[in-house]
Amino acid sequence: MSPEEAIKNDLERKFDFLNGNITIKRARRIFVDVPFERFHDVLDYMIKKMRCAMLSGITGLDEVENFAAIYHMSPEGKIMVNLKVKISREKPHIKSIMQYFPIAEMYERELEDLLGIHVDGLPEGRRYPLPDGWPKGEHPLRKDWKGAGLEMKLEGTDA
Amino acid sequence: MGVITKIVNWGRRKSPWVLHFNTGACNACDIEIIAGLTPTYDLERFGVLLKGTPRHADVLLCSGPVTRQIESRLKMIYEQMPEPKFVVAVGTCACTGGVFKGCYNVKAGINTVIPVSAYIPGCPASPKALIDGVTKLLNSLEESPKKK
Repeated sequence: MSPEEAIKNDLERKFDFLNGNITIKRARRIFVDVPFERFHDVLDYMIKKMRCAMLSGITGLDEVENFAAIYHMSPEGKIMVNLKVKISREKPHIKSIMQYFPIAEMYERELEDLLGIHVDGLPEGRRYPLPDGWPKGEHPLRKDWKGAGLEMKLEGTDA
Repeated sequence: MGVITKIVNWGRRKSPWVLHFNTGACNACDIEIIAGLTPTYDLERFGVLLKGTPRHADVLLCSGPVTRQIESRLKMIYEQMPEPKFVVAVGTCACTGGVFKGCYNVKAGINTVIPVSAYIPGCPASPKALIDGVTKLLNSLEESPKKK
């Protein structure tokens, strides 16, 4: 049994709601669809018991009916496990994972600034990566954001 | 004193000191600028020095489309350079914004922020084009040797 199948069976044995939601696309890549409410249980299990010590990044998506966030993690750096969680479009918010990975602050600030997904638990800080005087409520990477009239909106600000 | 002014202007024309600044570029034009100064193309044999501070520089070699974050810093650096000063825009992004024109986070081209004396297009601008452009800029100053 290959190492990818071992990880898949381990996760399915522990969490039965993941049956049918784990796909192995090709060698060393596993994709897992996690429901929003149980996300932190799965994350906790993977970090503590399966010893996923490496977070490669957090990708934010705008699928038209909802948002999504994909967490790219890896046990021992050989196999990439991608946890995808769907986020609703009105009042989007997720909890921060900074208590496990302090570097996640950078990726979560990007999610906040560019897609507008509010992250609970982020410390106070400046905007990243948008300029400091950027007006609130403008999230450039949303599919329905239009850049028309941008110069007028930035008129009185520092940007 | 006429003689001393003439000697100082001759020094400025013949071996300008440059400062290099990157306003959000992809770094290709920066590598070509440094390649122009290192021994293959070797501008340093003419006395062109790369300085670390704008207060020592005559010419500002600028690459990259100006992002909104760096606009105020670029203005500050331009104001710190002593007169007479010249700005050279290296690469297509610095001239007009290149592929990034119209994006929400760039102002297209350096001439929207500071006055530019010479434009060198190319993606990236090759060191030969850079030397050609800087030489043309310096030759155009010879017609008016008394600088303001």
